[in-house]
Amino acid sequence: MPLNQSLKGKEYDEVEFTVERDLVSQFARAIGEDNPIFLDPEAAKTAGFPEQVAPPTFPTTMQIRTSGAAVVDPDLGLDYTRVVHGEQQFEIHRPLVVGDVLKAIPRIADIYARGPNEFLVIEAEIRDAKGEVVCVSRSTLLSRGTAEM
Amino acid sequence: MTAKVGYDGVNVGDEVFSVPKVVKREDVKAYADASGDQNPLHQDDAYARSVGFPGIIAHGMFSMAHLTKAVTDWAGDPAALKDIRVQFRAVVFMDETLVAKGVVAAKDESTKTVTLEVSAELERDGKTERAIKNSTAVVQLA
Repeated sequence: MPLNQSLKGKEYDEVEFTVERDLVSQFARAIGEDNPIFLDPEAAKTAGFPEQVAPPTFPTTMQIRTSGAAVVDPDLGLDYTRVVHGEQQFEIHRPLVVGDVLKAIPRIADIYARGPNEFLVIEAEIRDAKGEVVCVSRSTLLSRGTAEM
Repeated sequence: MTAKVGYDGVNVGDEVFSVPKVVKREDVKAYADASGDQNPLHQDDAYARSVGFPGIIAHGMFSMAHLTKAVTDWAGDPAALKDIRVQFRAVVFMDETLVAKGVVAAKDESTKTVTLEVSAELERDGKTERAIKNSTAVVQLA
């Protein structure tokens, strides 16, 4: 069944997220990071950062909640067993560091069909405690075979 | 911190990195735990077979993380990465070797940034598969 096109532009509840040291270290080790600025606060400070730095793709750890809100929205009609991750973008305004308190309002930026597949674009503008945008995440989920032919 | 790589030292067409990584089951499990993406497609072979794959596949974001690390290792400064956008175009199975590549596609004198055409490739049955293609990274150089 096709996705509900009328949800284009829909916003979901704001997600709040603190960049925790343990998760940054765990994430950095999981992706094989060996640059000490991602693992050691002192090394990060020596390199001129205020704290241990989160790897550039770390905002994906927020995505389970930002994209998650749309994915489970019963009005959207997404069958998660048909979903694959099609595209991902991070527009990075500054590196995230441990202690950052972040907020994002997930939004369905687009829904479109191409051939037999549909594409769901979920955008989250991630802001820090000062309200400044630190990263914009755009995630495109591909729903296999659900387009109206 | 600034990038190690100077803007003037790179030219359009240069391949600036080519970094292999063998995709191991334990690394994909560690990625699932760290990222919170516990989709069984990345952990449970029986489930993966039930949806038509010969075994579990790596997260697209796992490949993107390896590619992104290759970009920031090359630049020498994680803060140099301004934008990265990727398309996931082929699945990656366990024990395959993913090669992250970056080629200079454009230079912008006014901002001292370069746009890299980035990809993640692997060899399967004598053919090159591109797990990530049609993708770019914008990097601020010194």
